[in-house]
Amino acid sequence: MTAHDHPHAAVGEGDELPGYFEILEIALRELLIEKGLVSADALRRQIEILDSRSPALGSRVVARAWVDAAFKARLLADGSAACEELGVTMYDGTKLIVLENTPEVHNLVVCTLCSCYPRPVLGLPPDWYKSRAYRSRAVRWPRSVLAEFGTNLPDDVEVRVHDSTAAMRYLVLPMRPEGTDDLDEDALAGLVTRDAMIGVTRVATPG
Amino acid sequence: MTGADDLIRRGANDLGGLPAEPIVISDHELLPWEKRCHALLDVLAENRVVNTEEKRRGIDDLGSELLGKLTYYEKWVLAASNVLMQKGVLTSDEIAQRVEAVQDRLGMAR
Repeated sequence: MTAHDHPHAAVGEGDELPGYFEILEIALRELLIEKGLVSADALRRQIEILDSRSPALGSRVVARAWVDAAFKARLLADGSAACEELGVTMYDGTKLIVLENTPEVHNLVVCTLCSCYPRPVLGLPPDWYKSRAYRSRAVRWPRSVLAEFGTNLPDDVEVRVHDSTAAMRYLVLPMRPEGTDDLDEDALAGLVTRDAMIGVTRVATPG
Repeated sequence: MTGADDLIRRGANDLGGLPAEPIVISDHELLPWEKRCHALLDVLAENRVVNTEEKRRGIDDLGSELLGKLTYYEKWVLAASNVLMQKGVLTSDEIAQRVEAVQDRLGMAR
């Protein structure tokens, strides 16, 4: 039916448990296609969309905000609308809220209930973001969580933790590092990491 | 925090503020079936068959033992299967028969 139907290495090899869940995915997909509830074409397109999303999109948004004060103001006022200016579309009425890091305030994003994440600008979340440890501890012990990522903040920097929901996704606008006045927008985008946009790290000065 | 009253107040997925081990900073490229599973749930949401909240409730309802043992997309696909049955979209017989048919097709012992 589709190119995805043939078995690959994970099927029937090694643990029986993962094999079963993969079979279940195939079974559900086939039944749902036969009932006309999803189409093979829509699934193929969605995989293309998933493949097209990466933190590079968020990096472009951040770099633009660093070089264009008017864009930054629009981004902080309405993250979803400002991202659309750069061709990044949110889905399903999801609101993107952009949080600005400053010398006084450091923002950190988590989803304690599941794995809500600003996928249109960052792609899919890393495994640690979905882990029990991160989801449990980030809201109560953010400084020790940050320290585990090598981020040690001075005591006088306020840490704000933002718990995402299906309808409200957060993106951190990191501080532009010192010594980057000569860099153009593309070079700046190259400095911005996924982890800095989740808020577990800061953007380091290059070199 | 670990008393019986807390078990009643908190859903199995409601982890915020609980003590936990140090974070293992890990990631992996999605396996092909994991990506297909993600796409399937996205399209089910887009087509208003199963929405994000139903999916999350389905995962909650797996209970803490399965939540602790299964991988992320194993939870997703099992929750999707349960929610689709609960909503009358698919029957348990349909799913079981198709799972067997797929296993047969792939030459797997069952």
